Parts: sequence; C-alpha cells; structure tokens
Amino acid sequence: MNTSMHAGPCADYEHEIVELAEGALAPEKARAVRLHVASCARCRAWQSAFADLDAELGQALPRPALSADFAARLQSRLAAMTRSNGRADLRTSADDEYRQTLETLRRGTWFRAIVGAITVVGICTAGLLLVRGVAPEAGPLLAVFAGPERDVALVTLGAIVALGTLAWSATRGFLPALRLGA
Amino acid sequence: MDGGIEQHLASGQHARAFDLVVPAYQDRVFRLAYSILKDRAAAEDAAQETFVRVWKALPGFDGRAALGTWIYAITRNTCLMELRRRRPTVSFDDPDSDEAYRAATSIATAPADDPERENLLRMVDALPHTQQQAVRLFYLEDRSYEAVAEQLGMPLGTVKNLLHRARKRLMELARPSEVKAA
Repeated sequence: MNTSMHAGPCADYEHEIVELAEGALAPEKARAVRLHVASCARCRAWQSAFADLDAELGQALPRPALSADFAARLQSRLAAMTRSNGRADLRTSADDEYRQTLETLRRGTWFRAIVGAITVVGICTAGLLLVRGVAPEAGPLLAVFAGPERDVALVTLGAIVALGTLAWSATRGFLPALRLGA
Repeated sequence: MDGGIEQHLASGQHARAFDLVVPAYQDRVFRLAYSILKDRAAAEDAAQETFVRVWKALPGFDGRAALGTWIYAITRNTCLMELRRRRPTVSFDDPDSDEAYRAATSIATAPADDPERENLLRMVDALPHTQQQAVRLFYLEDRSYEAVAEQLGMPLGTVKNLLHRARKRLMELARPSEVKAA
C-alpha cells in the first residue's frame, strides 16, 4: 500500500482531518482545518496517508453479494417448514380427539356405574320384598325384614349392595378410564 | 421502518409483512453476517437462518425496538451461534477475544493475486474483532457510520471511535517506523 507519513497529526486535528475527508465538517470548521493542514506538514502527510488508506480499504475489502436465488431458497425452506407444521397440527388434532373420546368414555363409565348401582339396589329391594311377601314366616335370616326395623334393614342392605356395585365398577371400568384420561 | 411493513404488522398480517421484510433487509443482513463471519457462504447461511427466525418470531414482535434493530440483533446472535459452533471457545461475553475469534473465522478472505491487497487484508484481520467488523461493515455500507451503528447495535460515537482507532492502527501497521502518536 502507498500509505506514508512522517509523523502523527497534531492532536487537535486528528479527528477533524478524518471528518474533513468524509465531508462531515461544517463549512467554517472545514475551512479552518484546511488552513491548518496547508500550513502543517505532519497533518498534511497524515491527511494524505489517511486518504490513501481509505481508498485502498474501499478497493481491497471484499464486497460479496447474495446469491440470486437467496429469496427463492428461503421461500422453499419456509414452505417446507409450513408443511411440517401442518403435519404437526394434524397430530395435535388427533391427540385432542383421542382425549375427547377418553373424556366421553369416562363420563359414560360413571353414568353406567350409577345406573347399574340403582338397578341392582332396585332388584335387591324388590327381591327382598318379594321374599317377605311370599314367605313371611321364613327362617331367622329373614326375620329381621318382618320386624319393626325392616325399613332400616332394607335401606342398609341396599346401601351395602350399591357401594359394592360401585366398587366393582371401579375395579373394572372407570378407574382405568381416569388413568388414561389424565 | 418501511411504512408498508409497519401497517401489515399493526393489522396482524405477518405473512405479508414478512414478504416485505425480506427484500428490504436481505442485503444488509447478509453484509452484517459477512462482516462477522468473513465467509460468503457462511454469511448467506446465517442470513437464511436469520430470516427463518424472523419468520417464526414476527408474530411476537411488539414494536418496542425498531424492526431493523430487532432483525440485526437476531443476525448478530445467529452469527455468534455459528462462531460458537465452529469454535466453542468464542464467548458471547468477550467479543474481543481475538485469538478465539480468529481461530473461528480462519477462512481465506482474498485471493493471493495482489500482494499489497493481501497484505492490507491481513492487517485488517490483525485488528481486534470489533474493529475489523466495523471496518468491513463500514466499507460494505458505502462508508455509512449510521448504518454500521444500527447494524452493530452501537452508539454512533462508539462506531466513529472504533473506526478511527482501526484506521489509525492500520496506518501504524503499514508504516510502523513513521507513525508517532500525536
């Protein structure tokens, strides 16, 4: 490179000489700097060296350009990502549907368990009433149903049967459904 | 920010906004990436990655920073990730870690057909990382301090000082025996 100078510039003018070269000085300031440079060999040499360096950097530094297909490649990449996101959306939709199905099944299991319990209680109660009607003098096992506490005994028996039914349903049906739905 | 882009963003039309963002910023993003990575292909890859990130994040852009500031920050982060990928010792906290930076970016930047030019480029490579980045970007951006400041996310005065020190250092390297600090 052709950069040459004999010494650094005067401290007060170092930045101003650069700004003068770049046209960044106000007219009056620029005139003052020019006057100084004209009378100062060191600043003149520095100004010249700076101008040489600036020109050489401007020419030497690579100025690469984007490929012509940059935007097209970007669009292709984004389109592929969009398609991929679309597949992800489908998977999410299927997962939602699965969860909804499990929720429905869980509600159905509860419903069936309750209906089952009521039905069993009804059948048992009807059966006991029938037994009492057909054989009021049946053995000591049925004597309690013929006494004054028969209503309490019947309700207690019905509750036991209902709880048993719910417990059986729990082991067979809705507990697994709860686990799957979680 | 481009008015059209701003309008589309304000109305939630992010895809349309993005279609305007790419042509408006692709060259500057590429040049910024090149100033950091010093390799055309790597800079183009980084620019692609930057726009993919912009595309993903644009719906969340809140406008607190200027769009350009936001995009350049993404660009710088993308490039630093690339440098870190190449050489894990490059630190985000120590951008002037010159040894690591030079090791990470040790890619030939100029053909050896012009010894003077090659010598000048070697001297630029010998500058501290932030100085050489500012120098490259300054000449890529047609000597615009404002563009360099915006793209590097630095105050204008900082960029001017960086460039002044860099060019002064280059003059010292070119003629070490003739330069004397003023």
